[in-house]
Amino acid sequence: MFLEIKDLSVKIENKNILNGLNLNINKGEVHAIMGPNGCGKSTLANVLAGKEDYEILNGKINFKDNDLFDLNIEERAQEGMFLAFQYPVEIPGVNITPFLHSAINSKRKRMNEEEIDNLSFAKLLKSKASDLGINIDMLKRSVNTGFSGGEKKRYEILQMSILNPDLAILDETDSGLDIDALKIVTDGVNKLKTKDNSFLIITHYQKLLDYIKPDYVHVMVNGSIVKSGGSEIADEIEKDGFQKFQ
Amino acid sequence: MNIQDNYQKNRKNIFFSENKDIETHREKLINIFENDRFDKKNNESLKNINLKNFIDFNYKYLIPEETSVINNTHENSYSIVSVNGQCSTFKDDKIEITKILDEDYNDFSKNNTIEKNDHFVNLNSLFLNSGFKIVIKRNNKIKIKISNIVTDDDLTIFQKNNIICQEGSSLSLIEEYENKNNSTSNILNVIKLEKHSQLNHFLIQDNSSNHNLIITSHSSCKKDSTYTQKVYNFSEGYVRNFHYSELIETNSEADLQGIFFLKDNNTSNNKTFVKHLAEDCKSNQVYKGILNDRAKATYFSNTHVDQVAQKTEGYQLSKGILLSDSASYFSKPELKIYADDVKCSHGSTIGPIDENAIFYLRSRGMSKIAATKILISSFINEELSSIDNEQMSEIIQKKLVRYLSKVK
Repeated sequence: MFLEIKDLSVKIENKNILNGLNLNINKGEVHAIMGPNGCGKSTLANVLAGKEDYEILNGKINFKDNDLFDLNIEERAQEGMFLAFQYPVEIPGVNITPFLHSAINSKRKRMNEEEIDNLSFAKLLKSKASDLGINIDMLKRSVNTGFSGGEKKRYEILQMSILNPDLAILDETDSGLDIDALKIVTDGVNKLKTKDNSFLIITHYQKLLDYIKPDYVHVMVNGSIVKSGGSEIADEIEKDGFQKFQ
Repeated sequence: MNIQDNYQKNRKNIFFSENKDIETHREKLINIFENDRFDKKNNESLKNINLKNFIDFNYKYLIPEETSVINNTHENSYSIVSVNGQCSTFKDDKIEITKILDEDYNDFSKNNTIEKNDHFVNLNSLFLNSGFKIVIKRNNKIKIKISNIVTDDDLTIFQKNNIICQEGSSLSLIEEYENKNNSTSNILNVIKLEKHSQLNHFLIQDNSSNHNLIITSHSSCKKDSTYTQKVYNFSEGYVRNFHYSELIETNSEADLQGIFFLKDNNTSNNKTFVKHLAEDCKSNQVYKGILNDRAKATYFSNTHVDQVAQKTEGYQLSKGILLSDSASYFSKPELKIYADDVKCSHGSTIGPIDENAIFYLRSRGMSKIAATKILISSFINEELSSIDNEQMSEIIQKKLVRYLSKVK
């Protein structure tokens, strides 16, 4: 199993958010999690990425034969996990290009691969940015600083395509995107999809799933998966909302 | 030993002690020390400092055996080594360096109105034992680097420098303070910018933990002149940077920037004060601090806009990063505006490093320590990238790397 979440319960500030959640993702699969506001979707994404604000009450997560809780935030990233943030953080003064260069090399180092030099990296970045319709001038700016909502999400996908993760978690990547930006972003995701990597897509709406076809759709309510199935579940939610699952 | 006895005992070694007028002035200063109740609440020169250590001191001064060196390193570029606050005289067609005279003392110390409650300035006037005067002659563009060397342990340097930029002149001045001995330097720089002149003043402070550095500067700007000051404090010992600027004629500017990097138990007190006394003048005061361990800092920024100073632009900003729960930074911005057509602002933000930014960077594979260092560098990136002096930029980058290597 690529990612195995077993009976996961998590709380933050005395509030239980995840309650006995189970989820299995195999290599090459695309899974979507849908659920109403506050059901714990983003908490799941943050716990997987290693955010330290949460208290793990129970459960286990295995990722590529590692106990995920044995890995800190950067080790998870270096092992191939990537979180596309719902609200990417603005970091003034940290330039995109050296930051991404350093990120990719930290991963290569852990994998005992040769570090990528400046010139090769610049070429790679330019080509990936061009695929995503990102202006080269944007790469001279600070991370997410002064970006529009759409630019931030596009930049998240650029990072994902550079880091080429084994498991990408997209936390409401569709929020705040107009239809054109949504298409560019989802095209970027589809280009990355191979039989060797997996995606966990968190969303409120079925719209995103028109562009990225999931193999499995899960409904999350009150911190647990209450229903799993194929893309027909997304259609059901689109039609009737989440009410009937609560 | 009280101030009176200390002064009388060492009087013969102190500058201008034979001048009757100056002696009368000094008697008044002694009275201030003897009668002052040291109102810590309302006197910014006393905040966060044990003044007793600086008042009950053992006076010791050595006239340097070797005279200081002045080299004309390149055309329009001079290098000065000031030893125990002394500098030999020098003269060419572009600059003139002389000893300070009684009249220079009177010019500032007696007529000083801004800093009359500043006990460190008063101590400087009282125990003055060194200093020099630099004049940049009309329409010359000059670079000067001054290395300030203190030769022995236990010295108490009370130094007063006068810097005068004559009409149309331009000076880039780098001052280095890198001392490793157990001494105290109390330095007062009095800077005058005549019409259309410019001074870019860089101060690099990197003393060891047993060296106290107290710098006070006062600049006055005439028409179309600009005074820019950039202070980089990497010292492990106590540093006080107080800078006063008066914009006395139209279209003059003062730009006062400082960055301090503190760790261990170190303390730094900082103050900038800009007085707008004419129309169409601009000022900018930006101080940023990074504090680790149990370090403490204060920063007081003041903008005073006189009623005649219409069309003033005056900006203040103070920012601090606390890398430890035990570090503290007290910042107090203050605006006093008596004119009605002005643009002024102030802001102050101090807090720990942004945990969300750390998480974001780590989630891309960066270690916590690397993320912390990159965020510290980014915090001061704007100021560092604005340094247009390559030599300075290299020096600061090296010192920053050294500071960051100690961040855990």
